[in-house]
Amino acid sequence: MSFEALRALIQGWAGAGLLPAGLTHGFLVNALLSGLVIGPVLGGLGTLVVTKRLAFFSEAVGHAALTGVAIGILVGEPYTGPYASLFGYCLLFALLVNYTRNRSNLTADTLIGVFLSVSLALGASLLLILASRVNIHILENVLFGSVLTVDDGDLTVLLVVALGVTALMLPLFNRLLLASFNPALARVRGVPVKGLDYLFIVLVTVVTVASVKIIGAILVGALLVIPAAAARVVASSLRGFFLLSVAFASVAAVAGILLPVQLALPVPSGGAIILAAGLLFLGALLARLFMKGEEG
Amino acid sequence: MTGPAILFDAVGLTLGRTVILDEVSLRVAAGTVHALVGPNGGGKSSLIRALLGQAPHRGTIRLDWPGNGPGTVAYVPQSVEFDRGLPLTVEDFLAVLCQRRPAFLGPDRRIDYGAALDRVGMAGKARRRFGALSGGERQRVLLAQALIPAPDLIVLDEPMTALDEAGIAIFETLLAELSAAGTTVLWVEHDLAQVRRLATRVTGLNRRVLFDGAPLEMLSPERVFDLFSAVPRRAGAERIAS
Repeated sequence: MSFEALRALIQGWAGAGLLPAGLTHGFLVNALLSGLVIGPVLGGLGTLVVTKRLAFFSEAVGHAALTGVAIGILVGEPYTGPYASLFGYCLLFALLVNYTRNRSNLTADTLIGVFLSVSLALGASLLLILASRVNIHILENVLFGSVLTVDDGDLTVLLVVALGVTALMLPLFNRLLLASFNPALARVRGVPVKGLDYLFIVLVTVVTVASVKIIGAILVGALLVIPAAAARVVASSLRGFFLLSVAFASVAAVAGILLPVQLALPVPSGGAIILAAGLLFLGALLARLFMKGEEG
Repeated sequence: MTGPAILFDAVGLTLGRTVILDEVSLRVAAGTVHALVGPNGGGKSSLIRALLGQAPHRGTIRLDWPGNGPGTVAYVPQSVEFDRGLPLTVEDFLAVLCQRRPAFLGPDRRIDYGAALDRVGMAGKARRRFGALSGGERQRVLLAQALIPAPDLIVLDEPMTALDEAGIAIFETLLAELSAAGTTVLWVEHDLAQVRRLATRVTGLNRRVLFDGAPLEMLSPERVFDLFSAVPRRAGAERIAS
């Protein structure tokens, strides 16, 4: 899929002074488009992640991406986009965690901690073995994201994943939420609780993996959690919770991509996006404190 | 449509080496208010879970629906597990349960949530945060969700536990309305005085059926004493044998 026409249009507007000057660069337009595509999806899905108490799980899946990249390079996939290994390994990791969670007597955080540590150890070992084969800066991009490396292929993957996840998440939103309130009540209402449990795990995993290129393996889970957490702090209804989370994630994604370029800051995109989300969270906390103060 | 009759035939449930239900056979007549009483751990909730298809069991559970097939089954659990700080209003909660349209887009106007809340005395509290409600108010909302859509069979798991006096009065009215509409009510309850007053029939369950009949006749002091103190003979023998 080619985004040439759209890129040219945005670059034209930037050249005419209608958009920030940095957007005359094609690579930054690509990064901005990916942020605009994935930000709202991560924000919306994040409300379910926070409600279902899967924040640590989403962090773990993000970290598993590091191992997925290492496996991809090991088996000869292009190091700029080892998507088969990324999706394959992360899905295997997520499904295995979920399967074991339902069958062990361990609490979820302990179990995820075990899987995460083993996965990171495997990834770090493989990357050290591969150190002679790859430029170490690639590792930086994988860990913290980069605006420089997003190409049309990455944009296509993001767009397909975002559309697919949205098409499934919106009609199933109530059912996914209900399953976490009371599984028995959900089943009486015709909700296939176990099936949806696995589906949700898959949705979180594919969105996380698709976002690794721009946000980085270390930080991608945070954009599922921080905007939703900020929205939860200030919202008073489900509508406010969802819409604010989508807005916060989108603003953080766009700000994190554009501001380092505009201000000439040597900060990776992933770091800048999460710092922006963190600032929004801080603002939400302060607003909450202010509102509480007003209430007396 | 009136509610279904329910037939439990030799229903058994064993978890590990523990017998939860032992050859439980009973019939719930269509359109009646049938109470299940018994001690904690006596298998009441397990029997309900088996009825709702959520517990693997031996034996047969059959619902005889009048007319052309299954109607609406509603369930009122004892409680719901959720984060009390979640920004979720009463109306949001009902929307999550009762409609397909994502609840964050607002209530589906084709569904009259106000009428259901009115029936449980929660009119005017649709915008209140669900997590900020008292236990009794939350229980009323759980009753309200069971009214959407109108149920033909309603399964109540100790619905009066958290209710205050006003809530109990509302529950009584609701039970009378459901009964008048022909709804079959299967009601797990520990308050025997309420069962005596409100139920059509009562079954005493302690892993197996100890008695089954009209409440005024069955709930004699001797039978109640036996129900809550006796170890069922067969389960007891199994425990000793092991």
